[in-house]
Amino acid sequence: MRKVLFLSILTAALAAFFASSHPDGLEKIAEQLGFMQKGLAGHSLMTDYTIPFISHPALSTTLAGICGVIIIFTLFWGFAKLIKKES
Amino acid sequence: MHIPDGFLDPKVSMGLMGAAATVLGFSFAKVRSAVTAVVPQQALALAGKGAGTLVSGGRRVLTKFGEQKIYLMGMVASLVFAAQMFNFPINQGTSGHLLGGVLAVVLLGPFAGTIVIAAVLAVQSLFFADGGLLALGANIINMSFLGALVSYYVYAGLKNYLPEWAGIAIAAWLSVLMAAFACAIEIGISGTIAFEAILPAMLKIHALIGIAEALLTLVLINAFRKMVPAQEDNP
Repeated sequence: MRKVLFLSILTAALAAFFASSHPDGLEKIAEQLGFMQKGLAGHSLMTDYTIPFISHPALSTTLAGICGVIIIFTLFWGFAKLIKKES
Repeated sequence: MHIPDGFLDPKVSMGLMGAAATVLGFSFAKVRSAVTAVVPQQALALAGKGAGTLVSGGRRVLTKFGEQKIYLMGMVASLVFAAQMFNFPINQGTSGHLLGGVLAVVLLGPFAGTIVIAAVLAVQSLFFADGGLLALGANIINMSFLGALVSYYVYAGLKNYLPEWAGIAIAAWLSVLMAAFACAIEIGISGTIAFEAILPAMLKIHALIGIAEALLTLVLINAFRKMVPAQEDNP
């Protein structure tokens, strides 16, 4: 379990430095075909994988990625603990 | 290929939300029965817990195997989430990223894998505004239902004729193409852009992205199996 979580956190942390920043397939096509402006910009806690109050872009994305991994794992882990306690 | 809000007609979004809820409800029921066992009343009564649960048929409790299974789902989910952040360059200023549907169903089985991908999509949409909230149903149908659940049966069917790695690779490539096809249809039906324009464009670029999906899926499945002791295939 630790190894997989470590790999996930490492991948999320390094994404800020090594991942391609080009638009993905759908975004690129939306730009080319000219319907990108129909998309509504979303707003959330960590919009576009950045933490709003951290201005350093790479650090912001790294921390947002790590937060994401923790949120996802906690979701499942908490669920298991919850129904274990109930039974 | 997370669809943002605004690309889809609200009627399409809502219809797909209902479809996604149905798929997830069914998957959830399947996983629930796999991770729990019915404990007869008498056993509970002997354990001193019976007083409040005098209902017929006993009650469901989480098994040891079930608990491990849910942790395993959490591990695969975090791996898919992290991998999805890692966009790789494709061509002409375009990037792609892993969808992870086949990765999840090969490691976890069809229904648990479907739930894992849906959970990743939900967290991306809620916390990171990656994929619209209204479009979540569409994204779940594309990447979780087609990309994971349906792709599992592609993989399971191919396994009878081909070595496992080949089945995984083909299913992974097809999963991306199926998701791209559905995505194009949904945006086309919404009247956002003509079918003739978006359908070939989406299929062309995702035929390339799918190759990377196939390779990444093989590498990650190998890595995961080395890191986590062998688990038997189950729902």
